[in-house]
Amino acid sequence: MNPTAVIYVLTAAAIFGIGLYGLLVSRQILRQLLTINLMGGGIFLLLITLGGGAEGPPDPVPQAMVLTGIVIAVSATAFALALLLRWQELSGSSEVDGDAVTDAVTDALDDDE
Amino acid sequence: MIGLAIDSVLALGIVWMALQTVRSDSLFQAMLMFIVFGLLMSLAWARLHAPDLALAEAAIGAGITGALLLVTWRRLQVHGPDDSNGPRLMTRWLALPIACASALLVIIIGWTALQLPAVPGTAGELTLQRLEDIGVSNPVTGVLLGFRAYDTLMEMAVLLAAWLGARAVATEFRPGVLPGPAHAEVPLVGALLSLVVPISILVAVYLLQAGGSAPGGAFQGGAVLAAGGVLLCLTGRLEAAAQASALERVGVILGLAVFSLTGLIVMATGGPMLALPGVWAIYLVETALLLSIALTLVLLFAAAPGLRRAP
Repeated sequence: MNPTAVIYVLTAAAIFGIGLYGLLVSRQILRQLLTINLMGGGIFLLLITLGGGAEGPPDPVPQAMVLTGIVIAVSATAFALALLLRWQELSGSSEVDGDAVTDAVTDALDDDE
Repeated sequence: MIGLAIDSVLALGIVWMALQTVRSDSLFQAMLMFIVFGLLMSLAWARLHAPDLALAEAAIGAGITGALLLVTWRRLQVHGPDDSNGPRLMTRWLALPIACASALLVIIIGWTALQLPAVPGTAGELTLQRLEDIGVSNPVTGVLLGFRAYDTLMEMAVLLAAWLGARAVATEFRPGVLPGPAHAEVPLVGALLSLVVPISILVAVYLLQAGGSAPGGAFQGGAVLAAGGVLLCLTGRLEAAAQASALERVGVILGLAVFSLTGLIVMATGGPMLALPGVWAIYLVETALLLSIALTLVLLFAAAPGLRRAP
């Protein structure tokens, strides 16, 4: 087995694990978005390593998929950031809080009526 | 041997930056660590023989994502209460075991897949064999626009949907959403811009043109062009407008429209849908994609329906 591939598979696993841990323990929404992007990075790294990147140019199909993935990740992050700004407007907080979510959404719906 | 040492150091650096992103006390520091993480990832892509990804990660993953994160952080501070002093991490006893188990799962998947014998006749091999048919020699561009054009079309649709979604949730227009152009009047800023912005246009067009035969393409080029636009916003040369101009409306959908139309015309003349009829069509579609990507990313950064020249 190619030792370079082993290094990058382990790295991918570590990044994914760290990202998931961060997602579970983060309070701030912005920080959660960072950790989701970390998890994505781990998966991209795994895909390219398994596509043969350690030996030579990796398979072009996973490369194109990861390239698409990077653009989708930035699109989703940008949308999530817009949601976060709106969420702060409604709730006055940029942190996660289940009860506050329900209250703020209920208020916003009441205002519209 | 030296290569293995470089890979090990790089891997340690990536894991360390990921750890710091999660562990940093200040959110600002966490975002900086994330941007450095992106830059190290782009080095890893280069080490894994994927220069297209290295360019995309540096320009989009680290560059544009970083700019979006930082500007949102600033807006949160300006428009809301400062809740950056509370406890940042929750205590959840299950978080660590779940994270370790999922990391183990990734290792098992990776380990198993690496043991598998190589299968002949994969899609990637067929792509490399038939690359001459579509007239580009960069296999990644070939896959994106020749063999899996659907993916690329849908990718543009996702970017457009993200922008429309961002507009839909931002209910009221706030002209002050861009951070104040604190250094707009410094004489050197103008000189710097007159140097950097033309270079970003030049690099973007080069990446687009080179994308056919070398690393590059519409997405990398679009991100570099967007970086020039972001710089113009940050230095107060462009400011948010309450309404999108007709040109901006066209620009945002240009990529999707040109791509779909070309694909449909091909279908109308009897070919399979989205089978681009030649190199000129690939460059036409890529140019439209580049303009749309750059404009959409700058508008997302400005969080505004449109942009206009500052007076």
